Amino acid sequence: MTEPTRTRVPIKPGFFTVPDDPARPPRLLGTKCLSCGEHFYPARAVCAKCMSAQTANVEMDARGTLYSYTFVHFPLFGSMNVEHADGYGVGQIDLPEGPRVQAPLAGKQDQFRVGQTVQGELNVLREDGTQDIVIVRFRPVEVRA
Amino acid sequence: MRDVAVLGVGMHRFGAYYGEKPNAAMALAAGQAAFQDAGLTFKDMQAAYVGHIFASVMSGVRVMKEFGLTGLPIQRIENASATGSAAFREACLAVAGGHYDIAMVLGFDKMTSMIQSGTAGTAPENMEDAILPAAFFAMWATRRMHERGTKPEHLAKIAAKNFNNGAKNPMSQRQPSELVTPEKVLQSRMVAWPLTTMMSCPIGDGAACAIVGRADLAKKLHPDRPVVRVVASTLQSERYERGHVFQGPVVGPARMSIDSSRAVYEEAGLGPADLDLVQVHDAFVIEELEYYELLGLCKTGEAEQCIDRGDFELGGRCAVSTDGGLIARGHPGGPTGLAQIWETTLQLRGEAGARQVRRRKTGEIARTGLCHMMGGGSVCVIHILQRD
Repeated sequence: MTEPTRTRVPIKPGFFTVPDDPARPPRLLGTKCLSCGEHFYPARAVCAKCMSAQTANVEMDARGTLYSYTFVHFPLFGSMNVEHADGYGVGQIDLPEGPRVQAPLAGKQDQFRVGQTVQGELNVLREDGTQDIVIVRFRPVEVRA
Repeated sequence: MRDVAVLGVGMHRFGAYYGEKPNAAMALAAGQAAFQDAGLTFKDMQAAYVGHIFASVMSGVRVMKEFGLTGLPIQRIENASATGSAAFREACLAVAGGHYDIAMVLGFDKMTSMIQSGTAGTAPENMEDAILPAAFFAMWATRRMHERGTKPEHLAKIAAKNFNNGAKNPMSQRQPSELVTPEKVLQSRMVAWPLTTMMSCPIGDGAACAIVGRADLAKKLHPDRPVVRVVASTLQSERYERGHVFQGPVVGPARMSIDSSRAVYEEAGLGPADLDLVQVHDAFVIEELEYYELLGLCKTGEAEQCIDRGDFELGGRCAVSTDGGLIARGHPGGPTGLAQIWETTLQLRGEAGARQVRRRKTGEIARTGLCHMMGGGSVCVIHILQRD
């Protein structure tokens, strides 16, 4: 493995971290309500449960339980990655803190099942000059890719 | 509150017309059909509520100029798929509140030009923008299959029903020339597993118009026709509960349809057993399956056996998507909710031809119909219409 010389840039800032160490997984940027304790993803200013404005930014592990999934038989919109041309998985992932996250999945359709543990990873959507535009995809942890 | 009635309805057939049919031409045709149906002219309209989703600035006022320039108040209303239903509700409230005696609701959209101009997903600046709407609803289906053992065959039966209902509706976008079987639906191209193309609504264009007014005017205009009243109306947005998905507002929480239907049943003093026919937001067939239960048409967990029994087919216990629904009749956007009002009004007048619904016990023409639409998964609009 050669060291990556290209800069990895999130498709949109404020949703997930891009660690300098490519071996480390991204973390999700959310909100915790300081009044009632409810967690949210993505981040928001006011608690959606108790409407308190006393909230704090939190990082959450991109790891959770697959609530549901599908496999879309079209190329991933906006992707220049050939891996996405034949279709892609999409899932809803329940984080231990509470939020349900909706995100693309990594892997083949027959690798997904409701209730399994999935782990987020960064994946290149397209190249932009010297930068790689990255998204988070969740992959079943039992499966060795 | 004054009684509000549907005085007239009109449609331009939904279809994939691309460049050949501008919004203004379809809207004019639908409006003129509604005036003729009501026995009124544009000069009688005291206000206009325009539903148009993929709109440029002032598109409501600009398209309304096709009818004439009479100084009437014009408002454009947008609430995604529920746009036409939301505009209809505003007109009903304005008449019920005594502000106008007669108001028109006009919906139009061209989804084909939206697709062509590439604005469908805009730029995928958010991760959720990169995900097809079909995917969100497919996940609803996957979860249902996991929890209830639902089979793709159940979904295919709903699609086949709606296609075959559409064949009986001259305004339907999809009009199959021969009977559509569940097997044919299952063989159509996979979009987002387990949903196939025939389990998904088509891309299309179209226009629809409804004229609402004081109920006593309905009797005066057409003494021989049943008066079709709007007996309940609600529009609700989401309430937070654990598991709420904040990204990609397409699939709304189930709770919203339950709460909204309870609100209209209470307002109308009716229950689901009183309904002769129902129109729902069946953009994808899994939605129709879930709405059977959420609207109280059957008990939780019984949708699949009701489908197998044919409870919701024409001639069944409660006919659903009688005009083909979004699956067959089509779903251009702005006019979709008004197409439901068009269908329900014709049904309650006994003018629905080969797809006419009759009351199960007495055999007389249908008396009560419910119209349900979801907008971007974030609003639910329901109306109940009832004839005298």
